[in-house]
Amino acid sequence: MQDEKQLTEAESLQLITSMISKAKNDYVDTGIAALMWGSIITLCAIATFCNYWWNIRWLDNIWWLTAIALIPQLIISYSERKRKKFKTYYDEAMGGIWLSFAITLFLLTYYTNLYNIPNPNSLFIIVYGIPTFATGFSRRFTPMIIGGIACWIFAIAAMYVRFPYSMLLTAAAAQLAWFIPGLILRKRYRKAKGQHV
Amino acid sequence: MFKELDPILHSQLRLAVMSLLISVKEAEFTFIREKTNSTAGNLSVQVQKLKEAGYIEVNKQFKDNYPQTTCKVTPKGIEAFENYVMALQEYLQVRKQ
Repeated sequence: MQDEKQLTEAESLQLITSMISKAKNDYVDTGIAALMWGSIITLCAIATFCNYWWNIRWLDNIWWLTAIALIPQLIISYSERKRKKFKTYYDEAMGGIWLSFAITLFLLTYYTNLYNIPNPNSLFIIVYGIPTFATGFSRRFTPMIIGGIACWIFAIAAMYVRFPYSMLLTAAAAQLAWFIPGLILRKRYRKAKGQHV
Repeated sequence: MFKELDPILHSQLRLAVMSLLISVKEAEFTFIREKTNSTAGNLSVQVQKLKEAGYIEVNKQFKDNYPQTTCKVTPKGIEAFENYVMALQEYLQVRKQ
């Protein structure tokens, strides 16, 4: 690109539009975080469901996996931030939404344990839907919009389904909200990476 | 009477840099070079001109032992860019009539 080339008005507008779209389309999410959380929540929910009959003591602690998963999540976030050569205001907003989601889940877990609330799954699934829908809506990423709405539908269903069957709804919510969108993001990322090589 | 087009922005590379920076919070120099398809020397000169005009902020730091330059548009730069786009739109509307 030349430095002092004089542009016509139409060329200037065209240049502005093309540069804005270049920045917008440069970054493609790897989908790893969505895949990881989709898998972990599904695994924990199904293990809890099965353990209702199996009664294996250590499986009662399976949800601690979500706390352990914060370590790879921090590594993923760090490496993705390092890979990205620019920052947007959108990234900050999304970071804030997912961080508030994590804090809400922590507090909700504490609250439901403190008061020993029976079958709290519906509450959790409602919360799962919030950042998922917000991300899908702001990115115009339909699989996550569907995932967010599915969470709320499953949350309504979970109000009328007793434990442990409500755990199956938690697993289904995790699949639709994160695992399937994660697979789609991963596919897009691989395709975009292939084009760059 | 037409508004005069800002001479700082009315050049291909500087306008490309500003258009790129207006859509992000901040960007690395290497990213801008890649997207504008320009040489490092040429881009440095144009970035310096935008900095002197007060349209962008340039920060130099070290990342993993390598120097890293990041650029960010300033409020003055945003205002100048908006005025430039409005002036362009006026020109184009008159042409259509």
